[in-house]
This record gives sequence, structure tokens and C-alpha cells, in this order.
Amino acid sequence: MSTHRIGKMAMALVAGALILGVAGPGRSQSGVSVQLFQFRPGQLEVKAGTRLAFTNQDDIAHTVTSGTPEQPDGRFDVRLEGKGAAASVDLGTPGAYPYFCRRHQSMRGEIRVK
Amino acid sequence: MKRTMIRLMGGLALLAVTAMGVGDVWAARLNQPTSATPAAGLRVGLNALLSEHVYLASAATNAALGGRDAEFKAAAGALDANSIVISKAIGSVYGPDAEKAFLPLWRKHIGMVVDYTVGAATSDRAKQDKAVTDLVGYTQDFGAFLASANPHLPKAAVADLVKHHVLTLKDVIDAQAAKDQSRAFTALRTGAGHMQMIADPLAEAIVTQFPDKF
Repeated sequence: MSTHRIGKMAMALVAGALILGVAGPGRSQSGVSVQLFQFRPGQLEVKAGTRLAFTNQDDIAHTVTSGTPEQPDGRFDVRLEGKGAAASVDLGTPGAYPYFCRRHQSMRGEIRVK
Repeated sequence: MKRTMIRLMGGLALLAVTAMGVGDVWAARLNQPTSATPAAGLRVGLNALLSEHVYLASAATNAALGGRDAEFKAAAGALDANSIVISKAIGSVYGPDAEKAFLPLWRKHIGMVVDYTVGAATSDRAKQDKAVTDLVGYTQDFGAFLASANPHLPKAAVADLVKHHVLTLKDVIDAQAAKDQSRAFTALRTGAGHMQMIADPLAEAIVTQFPDKF
């Protein structure tokens, strides 16, 4: 295979990767920041198949737990141990996903998956 | 024409000198020492609110321990009103979302103090010990909140100050439960006075963070 042909294939691969997005199984979103005991943004709409990242800016552990404190629904429950901790949640099915922090139950958010 | 110009220039000069004289008077007045500055107002306000918190909490716990239900409800209501004003003070600096996040966090520690008081009233040592454990854990939450809001407030330092607040209030409740009024009021003065050690650095950190506002 000529150098020229290899170069063209490489460029095609790069272009393809850029079009498809560098991603794992899900399409990633800009994410939710956990700061000053709030989820920011608190309300978010994403496409089905999104892998949503949560990043903790507070120097204390928080959780991202689906449902409400009165009725957790078990769909996701991730712990963000402290400042800088990050975790992702895969959102494959359309619907409304309220969530909260188990340690600080006044912290609430909602994701709408389209 | 020349005379007119000279008169005009003279008039302008006179006006300038007069203005400078008047300006000097006002400058002297404005440069006088005063305590009525925004920074001083913040410091005084926070001190008043936080010491009020201790006095009202003590009134509520004393009423609860004495079985005076109507008095307890009134004191608890006043204590919550104080909590709301404190959260509004936070919101005035950090915005409505911060205010909304602060209030339940602040109320949480009051709930733990209530638990301790109930434990004291019923001689339930396990309940008291759990409340103390919860309150010590809470100091980390509160420290993290303020550290997140203001880089000049280290989490560990804030947590330590809040721990001291919790322990001084515990002393008040213990004395009230023992019906030792002299000890209770001594502890109350100590606890209320300690709040200056939280209010002053909090005010200082806010002023440092937002020099243009203060």
C-alpha cells in the first residue's frame, strides 16, 4: 500500500471519528456540576442514549440517586466521593428522571430524556 | 472685548476657588471616621443574627425540657424565622440558589439539636449520642458549603468553629436538663459570645471575596 493511500485512509478515519464523535456506547453531554449543594443545571433535557457526566465541585461526598427521598426508584445511584469526583449515568430510555442526593436530601434535580 | 474676557476669566477663577473651598469642606466631612460602612454593616448583621440563633435555640430547648409546649412552639417559630433571615443574608451575597440550598442545610442542624434535647428530656443516652455524632458529621457539611461558596473559608476551619458552636449549645442543654439555671445562663453567654468567632471571619471572607460590593 502506498504512503499516499495510507494517508488518505488515515484522514478518512479521522474525519469519520469526528463525525461520529469520540464516544463509548452512549453519546456524552456537557454534564451536570454539583456545586454549593446544588445540581447545576437542575433541569436538563437530553437525547435517549446519552451518557451524562456528573462532577462534584464540593469538598464533601454527594450521591446522584434516581427517584425521590421518599421513593428512590433504583434506576441509578452513584456516589461522588469529594471534590473532583466524577461519575456517569447512562440514559437510554425516554422519560423523566428525578434524582436527589441521599446525604443531602434537599438537593434535587431532574433529567428529561427525549 | 478684552475687558469682557478678563472679567470672564476672573469669574471662572473665582468660581473654581469657591468650588474648591466648598469641596474641601465636604471632603473633610466625608473623610471623617465612621462605622457606617457596608463592611461594618455586614459584620454587625452577621454577629446579631448568629448570636440571636443561640439565644432563640436556648429558649426553645429550655421550653421543651420544661414541658411548656406553647412556649416551645413560639420559640421554635422565632428560631426558624431567624434561620430564614440568615439564609437571606447568604442569598444577598451568593444569590437565590445559594439561599435555597443553605436554608435546609442550616435547618438540618437545628433538627439534630432537637433530637439531642429530646434525648436529654427522656434520659435516652443513645439518642443523645447519635445526635452528637450527627452534629459532628454536620460540621463537615457546613464547612464544605462555605468553602464552596468562598475560597477564603477553609472547610476544616469552618467545621471546627461550627463544632465549637454545637458543643457550647450542648452545654446549655445539659445544664437546662439538670435544672441548673446558673450554669445554663453562664453557658448561654459563652455560646452566644462564641458566635462572633464565626460571624467575624465569615464577614471578613465575604468582604475579601467581593471588595467592590463592600
